[in-house]
Amino acid sequence: MGVHFSLRVCVPLLLAGNNLVFAATASDPLQETPATAFPYDIPHMQEEAVAAGIEHSYRGPWEYFVGGGVASFDCNADRMPDLFMAGGVEPAQFFVNESKKGGPLKFRKIELPGLSGRDKTRVLGAYPINFDNDAHTDLVVLRLGENLILKGEPDCSFSKANNELNFDGGIDWSTAFAATWEENSIFPTMAFGNYVDRTAPGSPWGTCAANILARPLNAEGSLPDYSEALNLEPAHCALSVLFTDWNKSGQPSLRVTNDRQYYRGGQEQLWRLEAGRPPRQFSSSQGWKPLRIWGMGIAEADLDQDGLPEYALSSMGDTMLQTLDPDADAERPTYRDAAYEKQMTAHRPYTGTDLKPSTGWHTQFADLNNDTHLDLFIAKGNVEAMPDFAAFDPDNLLMGDGQGKFVENGAKAGIALDTRGRGAAVVDLNADGMQDLVVVNREANASLFRNMGAQTEWGHRPMGNWLAIELRNGKTNVNAIGARISIKTGNVTQSRMVQIGGGHASGQLGFAHVGLGVAERATIRVQWPGGDWSHEYRVFANNFVQLTKGQPEALYWYPRER
Amino acid sequence: MSVENKLSKRFKTSSRFFPLHALAGLLYVSWPAAVVWSADEPWAETTAAIGQTEVMPAGMLGEKELLELIETGEQLFSAKFTRPDGAGRPAATQAIIPTKVRHRTEQAFARLPGPDAQACSSCHNDPVIGGAGDFVTNVFVAEGFGNANFDTSDPQFSNERGTNHLFGAGLLELLAREMSADLAITRREALDNAAQRQEPVKVELLTKGVSFGYLTAMPDGLVDLKLVDGVDDDLIVRPFSQKGVMTSLRQFSVNAMNHHHGMQATERFGARWTAEPDFDEDTVSDELTAADISALVAWQATLAPPVQIQPDDVNWQQAAATGKSLFGQFECSSCHKTSLPLKSLSFADPGALDVAGTINTTQVESPAIYDLALLGWAKDLPRNDKGEILVPLFGDLKRHKMTDRSVAALGNELLSQRFVGRDIFMTSELWGIGSTAPYGHRNDFTTLDEIILAHGGAGRAARDAYLDADPEARSALIAFLKTLVIE
Repeated sequence: MGVHFSLRVCVPLLLAGNNLVFAATASDPLQETPATAFPYDIPHMQEEAVAAGIEHSYRGPWEYFVGGGVASFDCNADRMPDLFMAGGVEPAQFFVNESKKGGPLKFRKIELPGLSGRDKTRVLGAYPINFDNDAHTDLVVLRLGENLILKGEPDCSFSKANNELNFDGGIDWSTAFAATWEENSIFPTMAFGNYVDRTAPGSPWGTCAANILARPLNAEGSLPDYSEALNLEPAHCALSVLFTDWNKSGQPSLRVTNDRQYYRGGQEQLWRLEAGRPPRQFSSSQGWKPLRIWGMGIAEADLDQDGLPEYALSSMGDTMLQTLDPDADAERPTYRDAAYEKQMTAHRPYTGTDLKPSTGWHTQFADLNNDTHLDLFIAKGNVEAMPDFAAFDPDNLLMGDGQGKFVENGAKAGIALDTRGRGAAVVDLNADGMQDLVVVNREANASLFRNMGAQTEWGHRPMGNWLAIELRNGKTNVNAIGARISIKTGNVTQSRMVQIGGGHASGQLGFAHVGLGVAERATIRVQWPGGDWSHEYRVFANNFVQLTKGQPEALYWYPRER
Repeated sequence: MSVENKLSKRFKTSSRFFPLHALAGLLYVSWPAAVVWSADEPWAETTAAIGQTEVMPAGMLGEKELLELIETGEQLFSAKFTRPDGAGRPAATQAIIPTKVRHRTEQAFARLPGPDAQACSSCHNDPVIGGAGDFVTNVFVAEGFGNANFDTSDPQFSNERGTNHLFGAGLLELLAREMSADLAITRREALDNAAQRQEPVKVELLTKGVSFGYLTAMPDGLVDLKLVDGVDDDLIVRPFSQKGVMTSLRQFSVNAMNHHHGMQATERFGARWTAEPDFDEDTVSDELTAADISALVAWQATLAPPVQIQPDDVNWQQAAATGKSLFGQFECSSCHKTSLPLKSLSFADPGALDVAGTINTTQVESPAIYDLALLGWAKDLPRNDKGEILVPLFGDLKRHKMTDRSVAALGNELLSQRFVGRDIFMTSELWGIGSTAPYGHRNDFTTLDEIILAHGGAGRAARDAYLDADPEARSALIAFLKTLVIE
């Protein structure tokens, strides 16, 4: 399989090992979008990490070239997103959100008394989850070595629950995580993506560690029993995994993006999961087209609202956008790449003089200007000092243009910093309805961007209308992981999937955010886990709402103002 | 001054140039080269008042600035918009969210889905410009998303509505803003109390003597709104339209300009939101600026409120006095409250309560603020012992269900509007009712007697009291209502 750059006008620059690298010429049509072509608001992202109390870097040698995640979730029942950041060889840190509605971002670092000093280090990423269906969000911590499942307790305290859950955290180099509630299960099935097996002969080349699928053995009780985890093999050095209902079957499969840097004979993967049966990998005879990229992160969104999600895959060079091919059907996951036609390859830095290919990590779809068109954030940064790739490699903010294409606005938004981004979260940190951005950087302080709104001559003004939606599924799977939220304004329907997984070592749990443009109200329907559709909830714009399965009315939530 | 004279005056003073397509008029057809109009051509087929307010007004306006703005607003309100102005919307529906048509229509006007009028004053003209309209001016309200080009008055496609008058509209908006602020404070205090006490707190949503039900605040910031009554869940009192679903004159103006005239305001239909300066594809870009809308708002907001006259006829005087007393006895005033107290006459435009798509205070450096006290009519408004202005609206700015099992004449709509059920309407303000027959949301009723008898649901008790009264009492009540006029 050849290299999957999709540049239409390009010249070979150099050959370096098995990394065939291209750089676009000045006539590259992707670079010809005029500066004034984007008519919608561009958010002004103001960096204020230090002022906000975030002093944190992700550091370490080769094993920490990947990872560097951040988990965003509420740990103290105030519904404001708190941040857990991986530190590599440095301790992971936890920051409690003390921001006020619409105000400057403010965080307070707290200690994690439930964790030993050893457990706090060698952390690569983290994903929030509520595995025990209680009132507190739990946390899965990915490490170089034993992974941790931390049971959430009141006021941002956690306790290590590996033993209680019969969970073997392993000794692998874990870089990816996803979770789903399989049919009729009261506890989650968890997938751990592992990277290079450093102990294998010949490491690191062609020695990818097996991925892990941990299904709960019990169907009752207060805690899951993960004593019989499966090895998912073959494995190809995963850097992101995501449970996804790619064919609208109601039965999620496991999408795995893998780093071709180290595997031999590997490719991207999709595993079929059926309750009570071992996972099975989709093969080429089943329509799966082998794809080999430096897969770093997965972001899912249904961009064309056909109910079938697209996947943005970050890589080195071109970002991919996988969309179902016309040859596909419900049993044949045949994908084609649509990144070029959507002008979202983001294959090299969009500013500066460095024309080498860029290196993408965390990817996330979000509507940062609330115009109803999804944008794509990609954290960028050289692996360490790879000479064939851009050294100055700013993060991308590819903004949806409403016509199905994307326009790069990272520089105008203010996020084009000289950092090496890794994990990230696009999330509203100050409850003003505009999504902010936190990026964990390698060997540099994290970036914390407050979305100020659109810049004007006299200050800033808010952008479009918005909604933030929290789901409550009931006694099990309380956060409704696997639900689909359908939001209708006029003739426009948007959707959001509630998922745990994807990105790059970074998970989020909290309100689902949707931009409404000029709509002052919206109707919402929820397809709950299990497939049942809700009735229509009618809600007014610029509000936080909670929808509970079986409840006829939305509850509104108001952040504290003092 | 007649409309024609005013238009002539505007043409002489305009400095704008407009293209004219020679076949502009009834049909959208291919057009030859455009005529370029000059401001010194009195025969120009363009509206000089468009663009006359060059900069969106800001800060405290003096009397002179305000009167100029009002004058321009009146010109815009009475202007017969033309194709060169941008009238018509061949590619856009009447929807409040910019929406493309599925099927373009050839005609410039369409009686049912609109555009259905060349001027605001084409309908709002009884008894004078800014007033209400006869049945012939009814409009057909549909969302404009699906079936936007409906060609039947069958109520399954639209709600047919009469034209309301606009007199006293600025006072209504000010009242609604103060009530909305009160409700927001009540909600905030309930949330703070719930958080402090760590238990749910139930509070009554009471403002200016009007109860909007109850809410329950939870310690974690959630709010249960099941018992909220007569106002939207966001607790914003929306004072305009038969349903009480429009927040401001600004929002209503932007909506109506598109719906009825195909004149699209940049603040909602412009490139910032639609990526197109000419969303309706009529070859005219940015048809109405934010400053134009400000002028329209200023004229409407400063319209004098209706008054209660003292009839010359002595018998009418006596009957009206009796009727005024009966109005309370029959408990008409439980909803048609004689007045509501208003703290301030400072009108800010834009206001704070609109959301993206209608400019609000967050979208400008400084809103224009004009003191309605500058206007002569304001001096005649009564005040209470707190110094508050008593706005004699004869309403409560609250929605009520107006039907029951046996009295359901006002339940003749099939479509809810903006989440408001089909038989729920905001209390109609009775000020000016003596000047604005016919009555009812569809202008179905030719007499006050008929519309009173049509009150079911929340109005049933008052209606029954009226029905049970002797004919002289009923006559007296109507004599009173007939004194509430637009002058």
